[in-house]
Amino acid sequence: METILQSVVSGVLMGSLYAMIAVGLTIVFGVMRIINMAHGEMVMLGMFGAFWSFTLGGIDPFVSLLIWMPAMFAFGMFVQRFLLGKIIAGGELNTLLYTAGLSLLIANLALLFWTGDYRNINVAYGSPPMRPFGISVSVPLAIAFVLAIAITTGLYFFLSRTDTGRAIRATAQNPDSAALMGINVARIDMITFGLGTALAGAAGVLLAPSLYLYPTVGEILVVKCFVVVVLGGLGSIPGAIAGGILLGLVESLGAVYVSVAYKDTIGFVLFLLVLLFRPSGLFGAGRT
Amino acid sequence: MKRTLSCLLAAVLATAASVTLAQETIKIGAPQPMTGPDAPFGDKFKKAYSLAVDEINAKGGVNGRKLEVIIEDHQAKNPLAATVAEKLITQYKVLVLTGGRASGQAIEIASVAQRLKTPYVVDHPSADAITAKGFDWVFRQNPTGSIYPEAFHKFLMEVPGAMPKSVAVVYDNSLFGKTIGNANMAFMKAKNIPIVNDEAYPVNTLDFRPIMTKVKANNPDMLLLIAVSTTDAILMTRHAKEIGINARAFVGFGGGFGVEDFAKQLGPLAENVFSSAAWAGNANEPLTKAFNKNFLATYKIQPHEHEVEGYSVIYVIADALQRTKLTGNLEADREALRQALLKTDMQTAFGKTKFGNWSGPLGDAYTNQNIYSRDHSVMAQWRGGVLMDVYPKAGAVTNYIFPDPGSKL
Repeated sequence: METILQSVVSGVLMGSLYAMIAVGLTIVFGVMRIINMAHGEMVMLGMFGAFWSFTLGGIDPFVSLLIWMPAMFAFGMFVQRFLLGKIIAGGELNTLLYTAGLSLLIANLALLFWTGDYRNINVAYGSPPMRPFGISVSVPLAIAFVLAIAITTGLYFFLSRTDTGRAIRATAQNPDSAALMGINVARIDMITFGLGTALAGAAGVLLAPSLYLYPTVGEILVVKCFVVVVLGGLGSIPGAIAGGILLGLVESLGAVYVSVAYKDTIGFVLFLLVLLFRPSGLFGAGRT
Repeated sequence: MKRTLSCLLAAVLATAASVTLAQETIKIGAPQPMTGPDAPFGDKFKKAYSLAVDEINAKGGVNGRKLEVIIEDHQAKNPLAATVAEKLITQYKVLVLTGGRASGQAIEIASVAQRLKTPYVVDHPSADAITAKGFDWVFRQNPTGSIYPEAFHKFLMEVPGAMPKSVAVVYDNSLFGKTIGNANMAFMKAKNIPIVNDEAYPVNTLDFRPIMTKVKANNPDMLLLIAVSTTDAILMTRHAKEIGINARAFVGFGGGFGVEDFAKQLGPLAENVFSSAAWAGNANEPLTKAFNKNFLATYKIQPHEHEVEGYSVIYVIADALQRTKLTGNLEADREALRQALLKTDMQTAFGKTKFGNWSGPLGDAYTNQNIYSRDHSVMAQWRGGVLMDVYPKAGAVTNYIFPDPGSKL
């Protein structure tokens, strides 16, 4: 009983972070039809941001969200305005290749400046873990979980209650009609890419105290997030959240009850099954 | 006029070529991870090679020619290791290869070296397969993976009450991980110790909590952790302690359990964790003592197994080169060097080195494996952030602490 509870808790905690990275990826796709291959690198930048502000400025990584989320938002807007914006008209394949190149550029610049050393952040409350009901819950991971929920909820209210949020959703549904209704689509694209980047950066900041970081860490994370996004349905935010939690749970329970060696296999089998029976993903509306 | 000029030019070029040939360095190729998660290891070897090469060149080189080590980055990726090994052999025309860093990459390099008939002297990668495939161009100074746990097994057999009632074995699915995992499980099976967990995980796992949850449910008496990647070693130890596994001993195998980062990043969680892996020479031998002092003075870094291995392998190669007559014909020179390596019998900072064919603890038939390897195994323990040799008694710096009093967080 304790074992099952422990694996569910671990799965949900990790899943919430997968979900958060995936939400950033999915809104960018939903609105702009860009498959952002550089998303993992944005997570990596967030992790390094948290690391440097912690190491050099002594700022708690979770507090440093206040710095890095706006910074990453601005960085995303910049990338969209000056790099991506010109190429969007070229279609999905072009942007895919372009962002893949961008991902290599960012990762290798990071290698150049920060070297390939792995680092980690040791916060004072890193250990011991909390032990409610005999199970173990890592404190940094629990804080990250709460903040991930808060940020994702905030995003939900932003998209559903504010004018800008509604404009983003309208653009996602039909960019041409949105433009006809007086929405500045170019501006919405910038904001959306900024949001996606800020979410990736925030996820990086949240992950940093529980994980290690090095310039190419994005690779490991982004593969999982593509699975999550496609699992939930490309472009669907609830889908990305459900997909993230589901993947976390499946990995955790699969490792405990089937085999650790097949942990990733189980994840991908689930992925294939979902696509087989629901080709547009769990929450996907399909192409309109 | 034009013809005279070109003749003259050709003559000048020819003289220039013969002059450079005489002064040309002897090239040693070393594929290492210089970027990516294993980059810190590449850097260790780079420093170690440089120290040895500088020492040898300062004394006039080998038979009047200077040594040069060419390092190529393989990013800890197996296919890339094969590519850069081939590049070193065919493009840079190195005489001999060393390095590799991890077993998965070294086995690729060994295959290339064997195919292209270039000697490959392994300094650190430890999977048995590297010298158990009958490759006659591959030599290894360091012990094989199945010898790594030798000191730990001696500890279990010789210390009263140390034999565990049950063990959990968690290892990565790399060549190194499987080799060490199997060596340990074969030992436990032979002693009729129940193996309650036999868990292979993929390298670079982000979350070890599920695995450790599963292990905890079986309440093992000892936990054996095997990791080729340092990040895995650190993360799995942290998650094992976090989940609250209450074993009498945590025993780590693999470079990551022996690096200073392990203690630096885990802090009190590293206390009393055993590391049964690293043979870094006998600190009481004069050559090893001198190396440790020089390395510390040069780089302000305390050397460990990687540094002493990298440093010593250059001396092994230099010793063989000294006994080789180089003709300038690359193929003939490589064969001559291979013959010289076969006759190696020397003492280095790492220990005694003589290559031979013999049978390993799991019955592998070794080719050109250092015949003194079985003496090169030691068990160490983390104490207050310092890794101290504790077993066998002969080379111990302090007493072991067992069972682990603070196993529960």
